[in-house]
Amino acid sequence: MNKLLLSSLLLASTIFATEIPLEKVQLHNFNKSVELNAQVIQLSNAQQSVTSLVAGHLEKYYVKPAQKVKEGQKIALIESIVVSKMSADYIALKKQLVAVSKNYDASKNLYEKGMTSMQELNNQEIKKSKISAQLTALESQLDTLGIDAAALNKATPNFILRAHSSGVVSALLKPLHSSVNVSDAILSIVKNQAYYVKSFLPLEYATKVNVGDKIVVNYAGKDIVTHITQILPKVDETTQRVVVLSSVDEKVENLFINTYLKSTVYFGKEYAHLAVKKSALSFFNNEWVVFVPTMEDEHHEEGAEHDAAKKEEHVEAGHDEEAEEEHGHEENEGEHHEEHEAPYSLKVVQIVSQDEDFVAVDGLVEDEVYVSAKSYYVKSLILKGALGEHGH
Amino acid sequence: MLEKLIELSLKYKVLVLVAFIAISAFGFKAYQEIPVDAFPDITPKQVVIYTESPGNSAEDIEKLITYPIESAVSGMAGVKLIMSNSIFGLSYVSIFFEDDMDIYFLRQLVSERLTSIDIPQGWGQPVLGPNTTGLGQVFWYEVKDSTGKYSLREIKEMQKYLVTPLFKSVAGVEEVIGWGGDEKQYNVLIDTKKLQNFDITYADITNALRSSNQAAGGQYLEFNSEQYLIRGAGLYKTLDDIRNTVVKSSTGQSITINDVAVVLPGAAPRFGAVSIDGKEAVMGMVLQRTATNAAKVVERIKAKIETVNIALPDGVTIETIYDRTEITHKAVSTMTSALISGIILVAIVLFLFLFELRSAFIVILSLPLSLLIAFLLMDYYNLSANLMSLSGLAIAVGMIVDGTIVIVENSFRLLHDKPNANKLEVVAQAAKEVATPVTYAVLIIAAVFIPLLSLDGLAGKLYSPMALNIVFVMLGSLLVALVLVPVLILLLLKPTSSAENVVMLKIKKVYTPLLMLALNNAKKVLVAVSIIFVGLAFVLTQQGREFMPELNEESIMYRVIAIPGTALTQSVTTAQMLEKHILETYPDEVLSVLSMIGRSEKGETAQGNYMEVLLTLKPGIEDLPALTNKMNEDLEHTFTHVAFIPTQPIAMRIEELLEGVKAELAVKIYGDDQKILDTISKEIQSAISGVDGLERMEVESQLGQAQIKITPDYLALARYGISVDEVMDVIRNGIGEEPVSEKIEGIRRFGIVAKIKDAKKDAQSIKKVTLRSKSGALVTLDQICSVEIQQGAAFIKRENLSRYMVLSMEVEGRDVASFVAEADRIIKTKVNMPTGYYIGWAGDFKNMKEATDKLMVIIPITILLVILLLFTAFNSLGKAMIILLNVPFGFIGGIIALVVSGIYLSVSAIVGFLAIFAIAILNGIVLVSFIDELRVKFPHVGLKTLLKDATLLRLRPVLMTAFTTLFGILPLLFATGVGSEIQYPLAVVITGGIISSTFLTLLILPSTYLLFYKKEHFCEDNTK
Repeated sequence: MNKLLLSSLLLASTIFATEIPLEKVQLHNFNKSVELNAQVIQLSNAQQSVTSLVAGHLEKYYVKPAQKVKEGQKIALIESIVVSKMSADYIALKKQLVAVSKNYDASKNLYEKGMTSMQELNNQEIKKSKISAQLTALESQLDTLGIDAAALNKATPNFILRAHSSGVVSALLKPLHSSVNVSDAILSIVKNQAYYVKSFLPLEYATKVNVGDKIVVNYAGKDIVTHITQILPKVDETTQRVVVLSSVDEKVENLFINTYLKSTVYFGKEYAHLAVKKSALSFFNNEWVVFVPTMEDEHHEEGAEHDAAKKEEHVEAGHDEEAEEEHGHEENEGEHHEEHEAPYSLKVVQIVSQDEDFVAVDGLVEDEVYVSAKSYYVKSLILKGALGEHGH
Repeated sequence: MLEKLIELSLKYKVLVLVAFIAISAFGFKAYQEIPVDAFPDITPKQVVIYTESPGNSAEDIEKLITYPIESAVSGMAGVKLIMSNSIFGLSYVSIFFEDDMDIYFLRQLVSERLTSIDIPQGWGQPVLGPNTTGLGQVFWYEVKDSTGKYSLREIKEMQKYLVTPLFKSVAGVEEVIGWGGDEKQYNVLIDTKKLQNFDITYADITNALRSSNQAAGGQYLEFNSEQYLIRGAGLYKTLDDIRNTVVKSSTGQSITINDVAVVLPGAAPRFGAVSIDGKEAVMGMVLQRTATNAAKVVERIKAKIETVNIALPDGVTIETIYDRTEITHKAVSTMTSALISGIILVAIVLFLFLFELRSAFIVILSLPLSLLIAFLLMDYYNLSANLMSLSGLAIAVGMIVDGTIVIVENSFRLLHDKPNANKLEVVAQAAKEVATPVTYAVLIIAAVFIPLLSLDGLAGKLYSPMALNIVFVMLGSLLVALVLVPVLILLLLKPTSSAENVVMLKIKKVYTPLLMLALNNAKKVLVAVSIIFVGLAFVLTQQGREFMPELNEESIMYRVIAIPGTALTQSVTTAQMLEKHILETYPDEVLSVLSMIGRSEKGETAQGNYMEVLLTLKPGIEDLPALTNKMNEDLEHTFTHVAFIPTQPIAMRIEELLEGVKAELAVKIYGDDQKILDTISKEIQSAISGVDGLERMEVESQLGQAQIKITPDYLALARYGISVDEVMDVIRNGIGEEPVSEKIEGIRRFGIVAKIKDAKKDAQSIKKVTLRSKSGALVTLDQICSVEIQQGAAFIKRENLSRYMVLSMEVEGRDVASFVAEADRIIKTKVNMPTGYYIGWAGDFKNMKEATDKLMVIIPITILLVILLLFTAFNSLGKAMIILLNVPFGFIGGIIALVVSGIYLSVSAIVGFLAIFAIAILNGIVLVSFIDELRVKFPHVGLKTLLKDATLLRLRPVLMTAFTTLFGILPLLFATGVGSEIQYPLAVVITGGIISSTFLTLLILPSTYLLFYKKEHFCEDNTK
């Protein structure tokens, strides 16, 4: 029907008052996104308590509350009998090992000269290994406490608590000079990297996102990039939306927890699709269409319809002076073109995807020339016949 | 009785003189007071009900508003036709009543019915359209800011709140309608994403806005013997008041509008715009109340402009765009100058024929007197002085003097014959002798124009003032001829020696041999003339027809139509391109271009794709039609995306009044479903495309408006606990921008709109509008509704409670009636009509047919009436027939003139033929009555000789009446001003008719008489 309508307008090959811009259908990269509501949250494991590994007496804090700390930074000093015993033992054992090693070497010499028995040597070796093992165990224990065993030359009760991760000291949990037990929390640190964005996704998008997809939130005018780390298995009861967590990668000053933000979820990979400009679209007979300049070869395919159209032309040309004029005009041009030519025809397209300016469509081929803007004028030209302009 | 009257008036001659002086004075007063208008009021009795229903689609408006209104008013008394048009945002129902009903009573009845109509809340309130006529737009103006300081919105405010009330206070003004600019509203831009943040819903916001903007009265307090009134002033005063409105509060913390929305002034959605010379502007139209005098109303408005200009800020003024009185004055002056030149020409002719000052003076004096009597009657019957009524006078100018001429001529002759007799007796005798034929002649002229009075509709309204005025002026002339003229003759006329002058002698010299030739070949001549008449009558049936000729308003106007669904902004762009193009291309001819796009404030059915473009021309354009043609072609070729229909301001309104169908012939297909109507129209098109004579067919496309249709999904709604109501509220208020409250600033009111931010970026953004249920669920619109884009109705027209579609066609080279018969038969056999669908024929053809049908009945009755009058006058059927035979003689000239000048057969031309009818009979009466008189006096003279002498003696009065009529009408033939083209066909026909009628009367009537009475006369001869 559309084609028929068009061919009946063959006469309308007129000069436009407005230039109709033409462009070629090209591949365009689409990255589908949706704007959502999101909230800044902090997961429970982000709050870290630093616990004492030994029982003892809290001698000193190296940090103040709200102070930024780096991983490994000294936090507190605990005087511990355990540590002092361990360090003492370590030194003693070290000395013993030296002694035992000497004994062993001597015994070995003697044995080589045949002055002592194999059994004696073996005994010496067992002794040495035993002490060595004890020493290694102790060394590793000390190492766990952050004490460099190699540097120990005298027994010390000092245990220095260090930060496990960078962050901000949120609270000192034990008063100074108090006794602490093993695994007592001494102070808490809020981890720097612990902010998450909780986005609420409608189901249709939730099924499309994947871990690792980008979510950009706008915080106080600044875009912050996050990446999805988790898609929660349960929807949010109140909002009935799927909750997606994404971690804030970069450091943001003054990011307040529980703030609601606008977030833009980009899901799926960028994909290229044949696309036209949004300004090319027109809604015609219940379908989206794009107008294309008529080409010669299409013309012959429409032969049958064209004949019908020609009939109409003659009916029209009979009475309408102007039409007759144009008819004559066309005949002059007939030397160049066999048939009348419709300036534009329409192509029905299916919208696949869209972004700000472009629409991915099916129904067009690559490099096809299309009317990229002012499609209204083209549509007008095609539909003008039904306006009843002669009806007066 | 007539004789008594003449005697009495001669007896009381002083009284008669005084009475006529008084009549003249009153007549002159009436002449000055008569309402002046370009056109008679042709508007049908019509009451319009319009219902603004912002944002709603044609389909819904039809169902929920138009239909209830239609069915409520359908059973009313006197209803002729109900038509409606439902378009986007507006329901328009027009009820046509019988013409004899009183408009105020009808409006009362309709408004009573309106109270019973049940329209859903929030869908608008039906309002009666202004009580004005279709031609009521008498004055258009622009509110022009020459300083450039004020925005369009501010100018619009001035127009609405300052100019309108001032103009509305002018007497006779029914309504002032603003057009163009945009209106301020306060947008509360809601970010729906934030609703979740604060645990509120959209409804919470609208409720908060509604309930926070209130005032209350707290009665009074008595304190120390004085009364203190208590007043709760809770109306919003500033934007901050809106911002600080509490939406929800919990334990000391409040969520305000400011937390969830941005409050900004913005523009309300608009449906019309005005652009002048490439720039948007604000204009107003003043509507005149029904039955007021347009000229007076405009005069008063113009006087008021000064006050308005003072009230407006410096640099802002009222500029006239269109002033109805201009064309009115032009039209009236065309007619008055025709009238005056007619009078002068008639006076010259009279003088030439009479060659005597005194008699000429008496005859000429009867002219203004008869006219003044006519004005007196016009005033009494509330007829306005307009193109049509004045042209009635112009047509009659030549006939007014006929009666007087006959009486004066007779007195002149008798006084000449009896110089020594008592003058009083001679004058009395002379007057009495011709009193009867004169009276009958006048009565017959009046009778001839009766058919015009019986016409219905537009033709009736246009031509009945003309007919009435002819009757009035003829009655006036009769009174003057019978009462005043004898007195004047008595007082002024002196017997003179020579009654013959040079002119008459020369005419007689040529005429006598011709007459003898005709008398000798009576039969042959009669047969020849009859053949010519039959031939010409056939030619007449082949002549093209038109309902009425186009009025030339000396202005150029276009109706410009773009495809349905065109956005207003696009139309504004088109308009401005158009304006610039016209101004650049025609700098010497065009002063200014005005485009009125879409619809104005109150009840018009135009949409964004429609505009009216009015050109203000520079004075002194020589060839307006050529310019118009050139421009039409130029614009059609330059702006190919729109359709141009050239029109003119008044013509356009008349076109609109033609009840929907403007084509010559159209099929209306009635039925419910527009798609089925569309299919049927296509079937009809293919079925009758082969019928002979069909030139072109066209369907008025009703579909084509793209819609984004949001249908609630009830299951989904249930899932989230959201009601349809909430969804529709969001659509209506949040997307559709219907104000939820009003900010009142003095007398000005501005809507407060809870608008959803970014909802209207594109089709996609509508789908993604977020709603929040009371329980907290967040959903997008497409989750709970199916959102689809589809092609819907641009408008839905209905007639008498049924939808219809118009298929208009043009028929050429064939009688329309037979075409309709054939096409109708084919449609009935070939096209399958589903149940509930039917067709009807309509168009100009129908109007013309109705008029013709009516005339087919009325004309024979009129002829019978004329015969009856003639029979009473002559007491002989034969003589009545002889006189009636004169009519075709007149028609011969009329038809020839019509064909030669290539004019269509229109109602105007038909009126010309009626006038010829009267003139021919008048000529016949004068001659036949004199022949009879001579036959009685000289019974022994042979009939042929007698006929010859009688004709020669009567040559002067016959020629005088003929020439006066001819010269009376000549100015209309050569008139060039506004309105002249409407009278042109009439003047052409009458001119041709008078010439042939007079000529043939003088030659053939005696021959016919000879044939009829030869035997009888010879018998008499024998017996004697």
